Amino acid sequence: MENFLQFFVTGATIGSIYAIVALGFVTIYSVTKVINLAQGEFVMLGGMIMFTLVSRGLPYWVAFFFTIAIVMVIGWGMEVTILSKAKGADPLSLIILTIGISIFIRGMAGIIWGKNPVRIEPFTANESINVGGAAITPQSIWIIIIMLAVVLALYLLMNKTLVGKAFQACSVNPIAARLMGINPRKMSSFSFVLSAILGALAGLAVAPIMFPAYDMGIMLGIKGFSAIILGGLGSAPGAVLGGLVIGFLESFSSGYISSGLKDAIVFTCILVILLIRPSGILGEKSVGKGGL
Amino acid sequence: MLGKGDYDRMKEQTSSRLFLSRFRKKGNLKGVQQTNWIRFCGFLALVLLLPILVNESFYLTKATFAGIYSIIAIGLALLMGYAGQISLGQAAFYGVGSYATAILTTTYGWSPWLSLLISILLPALLAFIMGYTMSRLSGYYLAMATLAFGIIVHVLLLEWREVTKGASGFYGIPSMSLFGYTLSQGVSYYYFVWGIVSLVVMLSLNIVHSHVGRVLRSIHDSEIASSSVGVETGKYKMQIFILSAMLAGLAGWLFAHMSYSISPSSFSLDASIIFLTMVVLGGSGSIWGAVGGAIFITFISVVVHNLGEQFTFITSDFEQVIYGLILVCVIIFIPHGLSALLYRRSKGSY
Repeated sequence: MENFLQFFVTGATIGSIYAIVALGFVTIYSVTKVINLAQGEFVMLGGMIMFTLVSRGLPYWVAFFFTIAIVMVIGWGMEVTILSKAKGADPLSLIILTIGISIFIRGMAGIIWGKNPVRIEPFTANESINVGGAAITPQSIWIIIIMLAVVLALYLLMNKTLVGKAFQACSVNPIAARLMGINPRKMSSFSFVLSAILGALAGLAVAPIMFPAYDMGIMLGIKGFSAIILGGLGSAPGAVLGGLVIGFLESFSSGYISSGLKDAIVFTCILVILLIRPSGILGEKSVGKGGL
Repeated sequence: MLGKGDYDRMKEQTSSRLFLSRFRKKGNLKGVQQTNWIRFCGFLALVLLLPILVNESFYLTKATFAGIYSIIAIGLALLMGYAGQISLGQAAFYGVGSYATAILTTTYGWSPWLSLLISILLPALLAFIMGYTMSRLSGYYLAMATLAFGIIVHVLLLEWREVTKGASGFYGIPSMSLFGYTLSQGVSYYYFVWGIVSLVVMLSLNIVHSHVGRVLRSIHDSEIASSSVGVETGKYKMQIFILSAMLAGLAGWLFAHMSYSISPSSFSLDASIIFLTMVVLGGSGSIWGAVGGAIFITFISVVVHNLGEQFTFITSDFEQVIYGLILVCVIIFIPHGLSALLYRRSKGSY
């Protein structure tokens, strides 16, 4: 029982991270119909830039917001310099394009920061709390809180503000949105900025427990991608659900079966779920044939 | 009585004749294409000449690798360009082929020629199971499934230590002999690999230029249109998926017997992505493009390696940065790959 509780908390923590990354995928996908496989690199950049800023002597929370701002600019730059040039490429090419961006960013990070993982202090004191025999670190509570806050903020942004309405309009029908005076180009840039913020937040939250390294983005990106596919492409609740499911699967399989085999088990489960529900658990939202 | 095959053949002939009479003079014929034998002979001549021009063993090894990668890239090009499917897990088939022969020849003492059969059939079987169970998936969901498959195989190669020896790698793989002549790393293996590449190229060109190739092109252009004229799209997509897996398995067999040892790191997601880069660079759907892409990417790794010897700041990360840049630039500036760039000028056939 103690073990179960421990694995449950771990699963919820990793699951929350995957959920935030997955929400970043959904944000970009819903407006631009691009699956941005470089999403994981935003997470990595969040952790690594934070490390650099803190080691340069910036106060923790100043560095925190600077990191978000820098990653945001990188996300915006990516959209303006690369993705807007590739409009009209077919979806297969777009997948490959974002893979290319991701390899590029990872390689640069390897050159800049080297291969060793770095250490970042947690948000608050690191005394773990004992609940029913399970040790819970404050950082995992922070991660879950950040995930919930992100979900709430996105919900409010999308449903209660004019920008959110414009955003949704673009995702449903870009041409009609344009006729209503919304600029889809701006919305596309906005989606990348938003998604970069989400990625950076995930990176900042996970950095203290994960020891970020230049190559952490790839696995996080893959898990985030798996989460949106599992939940149903284009659906935000699906992304959160998918992220949590993958988090729990990972934590329980590494706890009860084998930590080496956890990825094999997680992906086998994903394949089985896809076999039963070929368009994700919640079903895809107005995307047609697998999004292509 | 006419059998189904006869009928198909008749239909084929009439339609090709119609096509030919109508379009032959215009030159730019997309429907019926023929193998350009002059190009093929030029390719053979280059392959034969290279070891005479270059005889350092490092370069020969790299050239042999380029051949092995070409085989995988050809399979992937057929899959992407003709069946319109992306595979993010091609390295898994490569790995299965490689480990199958390594285990059978080393642990069980089989002859490499006998294990060749398993190295090709096992990936084919896996592809069949994948294709059969995942037939309801399409688009990004299919990409996810191939990605998941690739990761599962990689993890199994790492973790199934009793059989694969885990992360440290499997060593002691015997080299093979042909007509009593031992093929070892160097000139002999180079010719052996490129001989097989030539056969694979010929086979693939024949497929592309046959009835099957035209059907596949029609599926790629519009799956709905081709199924409405009676093409069993699922069957053809499955066949090409299996073929691409078999080619990757064959490449794995070649790789295992060339190297004394293999380790799971050669069959990771990175490898799958590099194969993808080769195909995209060459232009998906072009057999020669795939070979060119494989050669070009190997060439880059040689250049980076040489530069790295002179400048210490150039490391393997630098290689990654260049691969990334290539992918981005190719998609933006030459979306149909190098082959399209060349063919637009010369207006030749594939």
